[in-house]
Amino acid sequence: MKIVTKSFLRYLPRRLSLSLLQLFGVACGVAAVVGMTLAAGTALKSFSKAVEFLRGKATHSMQRPAGPMEEVLLAKLVRDPAVEWLSPVIDRRLRLQNGELVRLLGIDPFLDRRIRPEIARAQLLERNTSNPEQDLSFLLDERVVLVDHELASGLRLTRGTSFQTSKGPLQVAGTFPNPSGEPLLLMEIAHAQGLYELEGTIDRVDLILSNEADFRSRWREGYTIQSSRQRSETFSSMLEAFRLNLEALSLLALFVGVFLIYNTAMFAVVSRRRDTGILRSLGATRQEIVAAFLSEILILGVMGGALGGLLGYFLTRFLTGLIGTSISNLYFFLRPTPSPWSIWIVLTGILLGCGAGLLGGAVPLLEVVRTDPIKALSGRTASRESTRKAQRSALAGLFILGISLILFLLPDTHIYVAFAGIFGFVIGVSLLTGVGLVGISPAVRWTLYHLGRLPGKVAADNIRQNLGRTAVAIAAFMVALSMSIGLGVMIGSFRQSLIWWMDTQLQGDLYIGRVGEAEVPEEFFEKLRGMPGLGGVHPYRNVQILYRNTPIYISAVDASVLQRYTRFGWLKGGNENWELVKRGGAVISESFSRRFGVQSGDPIVLEGIHGPAELKVRGIFYDYTTEHGLVMMDRFTFIKIFGDRTINNIGIFIDRDNPRREELLAQVKQSALDRGLPVQTQNQLRAGILEVFDTTFAVTRSMRVLAIVVAFFGIAGALLTLFMERRREFGIYRALGFSTGQVAQMTLLEGLGMGLVSFLLSMGVGTLLAVLLIKVINLRSFNWTIFYYPAIEPYLLTAVTAIVSSVGAAAYPIWKVCRTYPQMQIREE
Amino acid sequence: MSQPVIRIIDLWKEYRQDGTETPALRGTNLEIRSGEMIALFGKSGSGKSTLFNLIAGLDRPTKGRVEVGGQDLETLGEKGRTNLRRMQLGFVFQFFNLLPTLTAFENVFLSLELANQPTPDVALGALHEVGLEGKERRYPHELSGGEQQRVAIARAIVKRPSLILADEPTGNLDTTTGDQILDLLTRRCRQHGTTLIMATHSPLTCQYANRILRMLDGVIVEETSCEELSR
Repeated sequence: MKIVTKSFLRYLPRRLSLSLLQLFGVACGVAAVVGMTLAAGTALKSFSKAVEFLRGKATHSMQRPAGPMEEVLLAKLVRDPAVEWLSPVIDRRLRLQNGELVRLLGIDPFLDRRIRPEIARAQLLERNTSNPEQDLSFLLDERVVLVDHELASGLRLTRGTSFQTSKGPLQVAGTFPNPSGEPLLLMEIAHAQGLYELEGTIDRVDLILSNEADFRSRWREGYTIQSSRQRSETFSSMLEAFRLNLEALSLLALFVGVFLIYNTAMFAVVSRRRDTGILRSLGATRQEIVAAFLSEILILGVMGGALGGLLGYFLTRFLTGLIGTSISNLYFFLRPTPSPWSIWIVLTGILLGCGAGLLGGAVPLLEVVRTDPIKALSGRTASRESTRKAQRSALAGLFILGISLILFLLPDTHIYVAFAGIFGFVIGVSLLTGVGLVGISPAVRWTLYHLGRLPGKVAADNIRQNLGRTAVAIAAFMVALSMSIGLGVMIGSFRQSLIWWMDTQLQGDLYIGRVGEAEVPEEFFEKLRGMPGLGGVHPYRNVQILYRNTPIYISAVDASVLQRYTRFGWLKGGNENWELVKRGGAVISESFSRRFGVQSGDPIVLEGIHGPAELKVRGIFYDYTTEHGLVMMDRFTFIKIFGDRTINNIGIFIDRDNPRREELLAQVKQSALDRGLPVQTQNQLRAGILEVFDTTFAVTRSMRVLAIVVAFFGIAGALLTLFMERRREFGIYRALGFSTGQVAQMTLLEGLGMGLVSFLLSMGVGTLLAVLLIKVINLRSFNWTIFYYPAIEPYLLTAVTAIVSSVGAAAYPIWKVCRTYPQMQIREE
Repeated sequence: MSQPVIRIIDLWKEYRQDGTETPALRGTNLEIRSGEMIALFGKSGSGKSTLFNLIAGLDRPTKGRVEVGGQDLETLGEKGRTNLRRMQLGFVFQFFNLLPTLTAFENVFLSLELANQPTPDVALGALHEVGLEGKERRYPHELSGGEQQRVAIARAIVKRPSLILADEPTGNLDTTTGDQILDLLTRRCRQHGTTLIMATHSPLTCQYANRILRMLDGVIVEETSCEELSR
């Protein structure tokens, strides 16, 4: 190895504590990316596998636009020349005793064997030749199911055992291997019809078609026919916004990691200026010095990346569960398994670490190339030069901010453009940190002086004079704190908006049934409607359909009840909008309006059982139930278009001043429970929604914490570097009469000062970031408006984080001061 | 008469500070022949270091010309000037400027490696020549000031340069040690016919030099003796 390179690399073991800090910082950044990417990839792959498994060998699926299909159609389908094979399916949800919601597939095992041969094979494998009656129990017994291996193992179920569900007890006929990530139960279709009271109807038919166009020509009206590819695309598009936001979070983590490497490399460049000058004076070329620096950066990148890959693997196990829970709560019940260990995880970490190193090291290496050897040799700290450099960086920052602003203002662009704008914004404000620090330094000086008198004043001056080191560390910490504030305010605003939305729409006293799980029999609805004393009995149906080949949701409501008892958040107008809904119009959610460019007064065409049906949009309301878009119409209109009388849920409204209010509520609740229907009060429903919300954002909160951890290593590194490079100064302090306590206090106040500056700057930047996340990212990702609710908690939490982190970062340098200061003298070299 | 090792013609160097131009060198002219031992006196800020930086090709003049070994530094280009420092020039600084992460041996060997003559024995020999046998593996912080300056001299002389620039080589040393260092440096240069220019404040240096120059207001003035300097 060349001596030039050796002279640089020896700093790594020589300044071991600093090197370790830098290594862990890089490792944490890489771990965040690896963990998030692996977890998201695993969850999404599980999702795809589940979709694939359910699809089986079917080329198409056929169903009514909304609601179940009539079983009698099967006879016609069997005779259709384009149909090679078919399998009718009941596809429902079932809640287990432990609260888990699983998919129950009702199939005809003979017809289904060509569509999902793995299941058929599994049934064959389960055959018990010593007890043939047991083999037939799946076909003959009403309350018998096949359970997938993993679910059975989790619930400790074996053949012949029973388990409780919301539909009563079920018995296990056997188990089957399920390669998808979704817990699954299989039941003979006729028994499934009985279980869900769907006699004479099925949910869909899975088909193998020989001629799609021919088939469509005969079954065009009143049915939704999707190819397997279309179905996969439909499912994928459901997760699109979620996936994009996971990607953004990964990139966020990488950005902070890259910033830390930039931080590290900048320290190295600044602290090695003198060495660079010596080498240049001896005849080393710029290229040789750059190569030496690059070796150092790459070593940190390789080692930090390898460690990061390892940490990321462990992080995956935690994040996969969180992401799986979020997907399950929002879209599709999933039980993704964390990725298995592979050496590629470490190799990927190394690649990321090196890549981040090169990216973060690019500007510092440019700095090395431009180092003036004379100034470097003279040892001038060049504070004026630092100020000029800070001004130049600020100009570059303003330029980047300008570009980001343009990206935000561009209409109708892809969400990636908005993400690019966010990253540009963060980079731009980081470049402004130096100038911000110079501007804010009088306030810092005043504060630190009042905190620590003379040591405080010296500490403030040190922060200001060592701009080359402190500005970068403060920028990195400021970015992490800003993200904490920005994400905290955004999540808080979203939560408040959700609470406001619930206040507008969820005004029922009781809610019977659960969407996607338990339907309410129509006769029970009629019985409740006839019950005297109840103010409003609201039947609610929510179903996914395709609109312009994109999944959206349709809700069937009782417009009169909603008009009387709710105060929807309308973009325009008020509850008078319901009048036109009662007369056959529809109202749409804001996300539908934005997504499809539909305004009040525009027509929309939905595919019903009698073909296309045109509805006029009568109003637009704020809604957070789905980012895909929601169309709401009166139940009468819904039944006319779709022929679907299903009721997912009944809302019970009782006037506040009704003296029999409590008695009536108890009566209704008991009546529902007697029928095995789930019942929730308004508070319970709201609490459930908020719980889903909080779980969904658990991933975002984890990333916030990780970003802070990475930035903590940055600031700890900065403080340690400052300490190491100022030993000569410490010798002077000691000669002048500063005590160990005073110098320790100075070190503490330097750390605190940097933390305070970072926090002060982050307050503004974080608030702006929150506004951008709310007004730009959320809007473009999910097409809904979140209202900005200013809140003190994110700022307080971030302030505490800043103070604790900066004091914590100063701990090791303070310990070093206490240990070494009493022996320090002024020595040349 | 032999070709001058260094020729400086109407050399100007101005620095811009706070919008004003401050000249460090004002039309300096100088010729130095091979083997000369020159003591260059001048107050702090008189331009001695500036002159050294220009001769070494570390800086570029505002006006004028510097020729080293008959070559105009301006025409050499950055690569050529770097090569000059590798092959023909040795530097000795007031504050030693050893690389702190390299041992004494490695600091000297670095010079040879850059000059593409990576022979460890030669580096060892140079260290022994300056009286540092047994201290090859020590790091700079493990050596005294005098020992560090010896390493710096070894580093400068090991590649047999044609010219050594010593910027206040004894400025950070006590009188006895300084004397030893000057003796070592000049003896070594005399042995190999190396031209030596020493920027200095110390009158001690006079006895080791065969030519005395003074930097006065950015211009070099020839002096005949140290006594003239003190007048």
